[in-house]
Amino acid sequence: MFFHIVLERNMQLHPRHFGRDLRDKLVSKLMKDVEGTCSGRHGFVVAITGIESVGKGLIRDGTGFVTFPVKYLCVVFRPFKGEILEAVVTMVNKMGFFAEAGPVQIFVSNHLIPDDMEFQSGDVPNYTTSDGSVKIQKDSEVRLKIIGTRVDATEIFCIGTIKDDFLGVISDPGSTS
Amino acid sequence: MQFSNARPHFRLEFRLIRCSQKEMAEKGGKGFSLPKGSLKGKDDNSAKSKQGRKVQIDFEDVSDPLEPNSPKTNGKVNTPISKGDSGKGGKASKAASGGKNSVTKAPSPEFKIEEELPKNVKCLMDCEAAEILQGIQDRMVVISADPSIKIPISSFDSGLTYAKRGGTFSNPQSVRKILEPLIKYGVSEGEMCMVANLKVESDDEVFALVPSLKSEEGKLRDPLKTALNELAKIQSSV
Repeated sequence: MFFHIVLERNMQLHPRHFGRDLRDKLVSKLMKDVEGTCSGRHGFVVAITGIESVGKGLIRDGTGFVTFPVKYLCVVFRPFKGEILEAVVTMVNKMGFFAEAGPVQIFVSNHLIPDDMEFQSGDVPNYTTSDGSVKIQKDSEVRLKIIGTRVDATEIFCIGTIKDDFLGVISDPGSTS
Repeated sequence: MQFSNARPHFRLEFRLIRCSQKEMAEKGGKGFSLPKGSLKGKDDNSAKSKQGRKVQIDFEDVSDPLEPNSPKTNGKVNTPISKGDSGKGGKASKAASGGKNSVTKAPSPEFKIEEELPKNVKCLMDCEAAEILQGIQDRMVVISADPSIKIPISSFDSGLTYAKRGGTFSNPQSVRKILEPLIKYGVSEGEMCMVANLKVESDDEVFALVPSLKSEEGKLRDPLKTALNELAKIQSSV
C-alpha cells in the first residue's frame, strides 16, 4: 500500500556546494540518496514530493562538511501482513510462483495455491485447474493476501497466499478486461 | 493424562533426556535414536545430570479426545493444510466459499497497520498515488535535463505502473469522499484504502477479504453497500 509520510534525514554537504544554489544542491542530493531505497520501517521510497523544512547546518569538526537536518515528504510503498493486493506473475515453477506488486516481490508457495490447481511444466509453465478453466502463468494478474514479510537491506520480500475466498486469478495475459 | 468433563484439557508429562555430546557424535547425524535410561548431559548442575527434566505442558484441544476421528493431540490448534482440502480455486470474482474445508485452516493474519506506522502517516489509495506520481513524472522531463539529478527509474516506474494498473478512478477526491463516512463505523483508513484499491463488487467480498470488519458487520453492511454502489457509478461513468 502507498503512504504519504514525512521523513527526516541528516544531509552532509561539501563546502564546494555552498552558495546561492545551496538548497537546490541539498534537494538534488537528497533525491539521489533516498529515492529508490528501502527500509524495513517505511518500505520503498518511491518518490520525494516536497521539502518540509531544512534546519540549520552544523559544521563537522575537522572536515568542513556541513550537516543539515532535512524534513521531506515522500510517497512510500510498504506491504503489510494481512494486506490484499493485486500482483502480476513474473515466474512460475513447481514450488509456486513469483509475482510483483510495484517494487515488491511476492512468493506464493504451491502449498498456498488451491489444491485443484496443478503445476504444468512446458514452454509456459503454469498452474491450471483440472477443467482447464483457470490458469496462472507469467503475466497473469492475481489477487493475493500477504501472510509474511521479510526485510533485507535493500528490499522487502513477501510470502502470499491465494487459498482464501475471493483470491486468485483476475485476468490472463492477453485477455481484454 | 488428566482431563475434565467440562472441556477437553490435556496435561502431558514427559522427560527431556539429554545425551552427552560424545554419544551424539557416536550416533552420527540422522537416524540416531535416544538411548534408553538417563544419561549424562552437559548441565550446569551436576546433580541433575543423571535425571531427566520433567516438563509439563497444559493445552486445550479444539476437539474432544474421546472422539474417534479427533486429530492427534500435538498441542497445536492450527492443523497443517493438507492436500485433501476442498479449497476452491479459480478466478477471484467467482471464488466464493463453496464447500467447507475438511481440516481447519490456519488463521490468516489480520490487516493492522496503525500499530506499526507513526501517527503522521497518510494512507494513499492507488488512484491518489497515481495522481501524485504522474505529476512528478510530468515534471521529470524538466528535472532530467539536470545531469546532477539521477532518479532511480526502476522503483518509480514500477510504483507508477502499479498505481495506474487496471484503470483507476479519475477523481480520487470523490472516492475518498464516498468512503470516508465508513470510518465512523469502525473502518480504519488503511482498510478503506484497501477496499478502494481492490474495486470490490459486493459487501460479502469486503467482509471476506477484511475479516476485522466482521465485528461491525451489523451496522456497517448498509453504509458499505451504499458506498460500493456509489463507487460503481463513478467507475462506470469513466
